[in-house]
Amino acid sequence: MNTHDFISKLLASRRALRPEGGFEFPHPDAAEGGCGVIGMASSEQVAARHMLQALIQMRNRGNGKGGGIAAAGLVPKEFGVTREILENDYLIAVAYMDPGVRAQVEKDFIRKPFIVDHVHEQKHLKDFRAIPELEVRPPDVAIYFVRIKPKVIKDFMAEHDLLNVERRRVEDEIVYQNTYKLNTTFYQSTGDKQAFVLSHGKNLLVLKMVGYGDDVIKYYRIEDIHAHVWIGHHRYPTKGRVWHPGGAHPFIGLNEALVHNGDFANHASISEYLAQRDIYPLFLTDTEVAVQVFDLLHRTYNYPLEYVIEALAPTTERDFHRLPAEKQRTYEMLQTTHMHCSPDGPWFFLIAQTDTHAPSGPLYRLAGITDTSMLRPQVFAFQERALENGRKVSIGFAASEKQGIDAALESLAESDKRFWPRADRFWNARGGSHTDGGAFLFTVQAENGKPALAVTDKFGRRVPTPTSTPALKRGTRRAPGLSVSIPDVPAASLFKWAAGQLPGWKYSEALTFISGLAQAAVEPKKRRHVIDMLTLLIDRRHSIGNLRRSSLLTLYDACLADVIDMIQRDPGSDFIFHRAGMKLPVPASKKQAVVIDARGYSPQDETSLARELQRLYEAGFTQFMLVNCRGHRFIGNGFGPDTKGVRLDVYGSPGDYLGSGADGLEVHVHNNGQDQLAQIMKSGKLVVHGDVGQTFMYGAKGGEAYVLGNAAGRPLINAVGKPRVVINGTCLDYLAESFMAGDPLNGGGFVVLNGLAFDENNAVVSLDTPYPGGNLFSLASGGAIYVRDPHARVAADQLNGGRFAEMTEADWLLIEPYLEENARLFGISIDRLLTVDGQAHQPAEVYRKIRPSEVRALQAEEAWIHKAIARRGVKR
Amino acid sequence: MSLADKSVFELIVEKHTANLHAGFRRWSEEMGAPPPALGDYRWTDDLILSTWYQAAHGHPPQDRLEYRVGRSGGGFDVLDFNFLPESQWLPENTEIDLSLPLNRRGDHLEKISIPLPIYGGGMSYGSVSEQVMLSRARNAAHWGTFTSTGEGGYPRSLTEYKDNVITQVATGMFGVREETIQNARIVEFKYAQGAKPGLGGHLLGDKATQTVSEIRESVPWVSLFSPFPFHSVYSVEDHRKHVDWIKQTNPRALVSVKVSTPTDVDMVAVGSYFAGAHIVHLDGSYGGTGAAPEIAKKNIAMPIEFAIPRVHRYLLSEEIRDRVTVMASGGIRTAWDIAKVIALGADGAVIGTSELVAMGCTRCSNCERGRGCPFGLTTTDPLLSQFVQPDWGAERLNNLYTSYATQLKDILRRLGLRSIAELRGRPDLLKYVG
Repeated sequence: MNTHDFISKLLASRRALRPEGGFEFPHPDAAEGGCGVIGMASSEQVAARHMLQALIQMRNRGNGKGGGIAAAGLVPKEFGVTREILENDYLIAVAYMDPGVRAQVEKDFIRKPFIVDHVHEQKHLKDFRAIPELEVRPPDVAIYFVRIKPKVIKDFMAEHDLLNVERRRVEDEIVYQNTYKLNTTFYQSTGDKQAFVLSHGKNLLVLKMVGYGDDVIKYYRIEDIHAHVWIGHHRYPTKGRVWHPGGAHPFIGLNEALVHNGDFANHASISEYLAQRDIYPLFLTDTEVAVQVFDLLHRTYNYPLEYVIEALAPTTERDFHRLPAEKQRTYEMLQTTHMHCSPDGPWFFLIAQTDTHAPSGPLYRLAGITDTSMLRPQVFAFQERALENGRKVSIGFAASEKQGIDAALESLAESDKRFWPRADRFWNARGGSHTDGGAFLFTVQAENGKPALAVTDKFGRRVPTPTSTPALKRGTRRAPGLSVSIPDVPAASLFKWAAGQLPGWKYSEALTFISGLAQAAVEPKKRRHVIDMLTLLIDRRHSIGNLRRSSLLTLYDACLADVIDMIQRDPGSDFIFHRAGMKLPVPASKKQAVVIDARGYSPQDETSLARELQRLYEAGFTQFMLVNCRGHRFIGNGFGPDTKGVRLDVYGSPGDYLGSGADGLEVHVHNNGQDQLAQIMKSGKLVVHGDVGQTFMYGAKGGEAYVLGNAAGRPLINAVGKPRVVINGTCLDYLAESFMAGDPLNGGGFVVLNGLAFDENNAVVSLDTPYPGGNLFSLASGGAIYVRDPHARVAADQLNGGRFAEMTEADWLLIEPYLEENARLFGISIDRLLTVDGQAHQPAEVYRKIRPSEVRALQAEEAWIHKAIARRGVKR
Repeated sequence: MSLADKSVFELIVEKHTANLHAGFRRWSEEMGAPPPALGDYRWTDDLILSTWYQAAHGHPPQDRLEYRVGRSGGGFDVLDFNFLPESQWLPENTEIDLSLPLNRRGDHLEKISIPLPIYGGGMSYGSVSEQVMLSRARNAAHWGTFTSTGEGGYPRSLTEYKDNVITQVATGMFGVREETIQNARIVEFKYAQGAKPGLGGHLLGDKATQTVSEIRESVPWVSLFSPFPFHSVYSVEDHRKHVDWIKQTNPRALVSVKVSTPTDVDMVAVGSYFAGAHIVHLDGSYGGTGAAPEIAKKNIAMPIEFAIPRVHRYLLSEEIRDRVTVMASGGIRTAWDIAKVIALGADGAVIGTSELVAMGCTRCSNCERGRGCPFGLTTTDPLLSQFVQPDWGAERLNNLYTSYATQLKDILRRLGLRSIAELRGRPDLLKYVG
């Protein structure tokens, strides 16, 4: 039977599922936009407990009305089965809201079609009220490990004329349809809700309920259940007073579970599309529709993942034209055929997927896919250690917020010595792009008999990961006999010395040096010096020889924590320690800095870190050192106007809106920043020693900003006035959309985009192109972009409202001081910037200037006004 | 001072001001032509003239001028009240309560109440002149209600009236600064405008004068577009974060969320409430000055008279109706319109255009041009804007509000109700007369 026939017959077999009285257009009863998501995939089987802290910290992305988890690649004995059963049987997890229907469900939908190899009763807390925010008792869950009865398969094949076909695909379809029937019998979205299937794939488990994602882990007591792949979700439904677990994420196809942050505008159209293929969503949310599309394309149509992703998030505009001709043809067909099932709107999907019968052995996968316009926050991360036997222990993440990843990794590192708290790499996907396709896949599969993790983009290309240098081994000790006393030289000189030494050091020697720093900090008056030094070590990228940056960072973090402990125990005159619950201190002197442990503060509201900072500012503090930030939002907001002289140094993972509204103050982030930094910034300075997220400096009016790494989507959108910004990396798309920052040569604003990255040896390298996106300077009417583009890679078709202008001496004199400051902050010298392929060049040969085109629509008016001004001889 | 001492400009201002203040009675003889345009089916000549009359006298016209409805053949023009028989009307001296609480959340924030169920909608500096803003602010202060900055910054002269000025945070963030947020007792998030949902805001080039662009910190004479939507808000959880941001900056402010009326407006309202809104402001499609594109004004968004009951019923079913204030706007022209939106389920109304009409607007729809407004309202031209003096403008608005209050009380009396709150959500008191 050819593929086409097979698919047709498979779809035809679903006709029996058609609702009586015809398909009725679904009215979603739960609108939801936002959600918090995290996923992790590892070569190791990791415990669910490591998602707890991440989910707790992201609770502000949900509202407690739906939470769920999915796990793939489970441990057989934790479910009382053999490996053979786990991999070959369907794992059918049924949620019973009404335990009274269990006998009926089992009789009709479990025992009738299936041979049951094992039943696992999912444990749960005795009393759901032990979790205070739970309003509804979560369902009881029974997990059935089943095979389909041979006669059922035979009958199905005969009935639907599916002869000589791949039997397993028929089996999948039988399970799928059985679940549909079970759900329609026992779970009516508008009526009785007694039982429904949580998941039915192989080696894949979903648990969900009305609550937060972390509540699921606690209630079902799965803290110590292990899996290769986990995803977790908080839901934020906005409608309805009564919620049901069926509406929570993840939703299932067959061998995949999907969680989603965002919503679609074309839920109705996709539902129609599915109905035409006899697929009828039951839970009335767009997320369920999304996973049904995924399942249709992947399982029924048998598309490779790349094509599934293309159908969901089409490659458009310039990115499309950058694809090879062959790919363009295929993609065009995909887009044309599947336009009606392509979710339109902001979305970020995390998918846990299993394929226990893959030709090269069982496979467990985490996929993160963003919409073409990248309208939801998303961040990916990776960490890997090569063991002595050559095997690699790896973990990959995808999440809404970096801080969630940090929390998971920190938790994991606490219990498993092979991991450490700092990821090797963080990055973003560029939606619908020719560069990475806006999707990353973390695939766990056996290599040489042991599970290994591979990271690939949409196109199946391996993502380069820094693995050649060894990671620090736990228990590494200081080099014996070596002692370092830290000299009283300025931190910059000391740093210069250490940076010269580090390439030749082993971890033990680095440790000796770092503990020397900690030793020096015992003396209170040396602490500022030590902190400055540690900060430089954390911030700066420089050659570190055979060491791993993420490992060194872990050591620096630990040393900094020691110094903070010292300040807490024995404050000197330079610093005072403060944390939640302590009495608000008063500064002993103008320059005394307050060190704040962020951990006890909430991310927002009255008990937030941001509010406490405002109170400390009112109490007279102007120097702030924030440590252990975990997604705390609004840092430095609300200080009001004229805050020159205020400085905040931020360590850890600060949250969204940092520095927004700043008018004079200075914020230094010694890490990556998250989303919406420095909105409406008026004046002052923001320095980020890493990347920044979405809509950086939205509506800014002024101020200086320096970013060591990349900006995600839409930096500087609607910025006016005179913001002056240096971004050393690149930007995903929509840089300086609607930029209105006057004439930079006459006091207006600009962005310098350097297009740099760091290679594995932490050396500065130029990116292939300083700007990969298609929308540079869209609709801009003022300001300028100075892009370091010596090979003229940025093309006119990337500008939408801008034009290349001559890079003059005056332009260089304008940006030079900012590049000098950039050099001082990040160690990227102007000489390095002007060096291309080893040759020194003139600024005008390296930088290109982009100015707004004339605003054509208004030329008539402008001319009129110019004339009117010229005419103005009348006395006023 | 003799005429010879005056510059040409001063003379022009004097002439136009005199004409404007005379309520256009002298317009024809002085200008040799009738005033440009005089309304349309929605804002009829009668409604414009009766609004002027009210602005001059503080009560509705007693002659044949129609001051209650227009002739659009739809919307509020085909709704009327089922008044009681005259014998059952409440006596004329009955005390009637028009006051409206704006904070019903039961939180610890200020319990702001306004003495009549209306406040002024957002009109930015740039779209209207500073003099118009001041007129509105003075009137708002006089009544103890509010006016809104719209999205164009906060002229310094308004600071004096900050207790009666709502600061708008809109998608372009023009003129939004921490101090403007901190000034405000109410901060309004403008997600969309009913007159042009999905189009953002726009101020065309020749209105972006030197002074306008200074306050917005943009380039003079270049069109300014506010994007649609907030690019930092693509979902309700982002919205909550957005609200949290403003609350961190000004923890005392009440939060108003201004949205247009899409088909899922009910869900938007509920979502806004759960994200912390005190006021949900529904902006329907009948409003907007001449600057909103015709195609948008007439074709997008759900008519407000459909949106209000829908939101009202949904909030009731969610059992949160009495925890949030619903304000309606978009083509609310008269006291009768105000009463109708309240009967449909809103708590109060936000008015904009009728205030401009009170100050002399004839609805000639030249608003998008910098020097297009013959009456010096929707302009920041230094000459034209002198036609309106804030004291005069405030007086006109005060009269209009007085007239509205009288009419609202009268309507309630004839319905046998003693407070505006009793009228809310009583569509049974309305009848269709189309």
